[in-house]
Amino acid sequence: MIADVALVVVAVLAATLGPRLLQRSTSIERSPWVGIVLWQSLSVSAVAAVVLTGAALALPAVPLTNDLAALLSACGAALRAQYETPGGAAASATGAVLAVSVLGRVIYCLAAEVALARSQRARLRRSLLILAQTDPCTGALVLEHEAPVAYCVPGHGGRVVMTSAALETLRPDELEAVMAHERAHLVARHHLVLAVSRALARAFPGVPVFRDAHVALTRLVEMHADDVAASCNERLSIATAVVRMAESKAPAAALGAGGPTSVARVRRLLAPADPLRASGVAAALVIAAVLVLAPLGILAAPAVVAATADLCPIDFPTDTV
Amino acid sequence: MQQRVSNLGPLEAVIMERLWARGRPTPVRAVLDELEHERSLAYTTVMTVMDNLHRKGLLGRERVGRAYHYVPVRSREEHTAALMSEVLADTADRGSALLHFVEQMQPEELDRLRSALDQRSSTKSEGE
Repeated sequence: MIADVALVVVAVLAATLGPRLLQRSTSIERSPWVGIVLWQSLSVSAVAAVVLTGAALALPAVPLTNDLAALLSACGAALRAQYETPGGAAASATGAVLAVSVLGRVIYCLAAEVALARSQRARLRRSLLILAQTDPCTGALVLEHEAPVAYCVPGHGGRVVMTSAALETLRPDELEAVMAHERAHLVARHHLVLAVSRALARAFPGVPVFRDAHVALTRLVEMHADDVAASCNERLSIATAVVRMAESKAPAAALGAGGPTSVARVRRLLAPADPLRASGVAAALVIAAVLVLAPLGILAAPAVVAATADLCPIDFPTDTV
Repeated sequence: MQQRVSNLGPLEAVIMERLWARGRPTPVRAVLDELEHERSLAYTTVMTVMDNLHRKGLLGRERVGRAYHYVPVRSREEHTAALMSEVLADTADRGSALLHFVEQMQPEELDRLRSALDQRSSTKSEGE
């Protein structure tokens, strides 16, 4: 019963307080990869807490005694006592439905997202194969088109694609910076980060943590790619490339097309803050680990209590020899 | 087999290139004759690739006598435009298929971008 309550508390905190704290943190953008890890941990924690709440509710109904044999039969009673919930069978059934439906929804949406992205990419690749030429200098696929656009098509044999107008618009140092930025996306597999966050946001549109996580991650992967590009390019080259490419692009048709990310990127490139110190990174990683492991720990705690209780002969019963 | 599939890709591109350049319905034999100056190909190879392109909806064809004459359904520019509009489609519907260097933005956001850059260049020139 305590486990159920604690798991619900974790789920609620991860879904409400967590995103608010992360959004307010200004230092997170100093080391974007740390931010990526934290947002992902928060999402995993929220999902795990809900699924495991269901599992904890369902647990008393699980027939432990049959398969795990006589050794555990005494343990079964102790475990049941630990996980006992008011409501009995009804609570157990509700728990099972909750766990299975949440987990099922996550898996379904992930699979749908991956399948959609794959088919879109396959279609793009087929067209690019016929329409684009490889630029011998940069290795990018070049499309003959008047709008300056640069993007990468991730996945197996990921490629950077540019239009001929982008090649003409950018100065050599800017071109190198754009290539480095896009290659960083491919190497870091940012598309997988975004596929997961987008799938979760789609799966539970009413839960703010997943939508917030997707928005934040979209921004953080760009900043991370900027940082990687900046390790071998002038930050100013990346910043001017962003502005030049944005300037020559047609204005967005739809509102809220996410322009603020570019503004934040340029500001950040021009006035860079030092990356987080080792102590800050370590603290963030510990928080991430706690977030991910807390739900599992809470679920397991009563079992541990039962196992250490006298009733439960997990150790060999030495006193009967 | 894998080898063969990956080899068909560039050949598709080369054949489309030739057909776009000719701009009129062309039989397999004529394409083969053009390509044979550069590399040796079997008639059936070229025919298979052109048949594939037809099935993918890239080539139309009509029967002339005993052979098919093939012609691109869309011009190169139309094809590129279709690809670009898909690439630039609203991010919400596009899924996570690709990552853009910059997203499309509102004019006022662009102004903020420019001013951020201007600030930097002015402080830089003051410093120098």
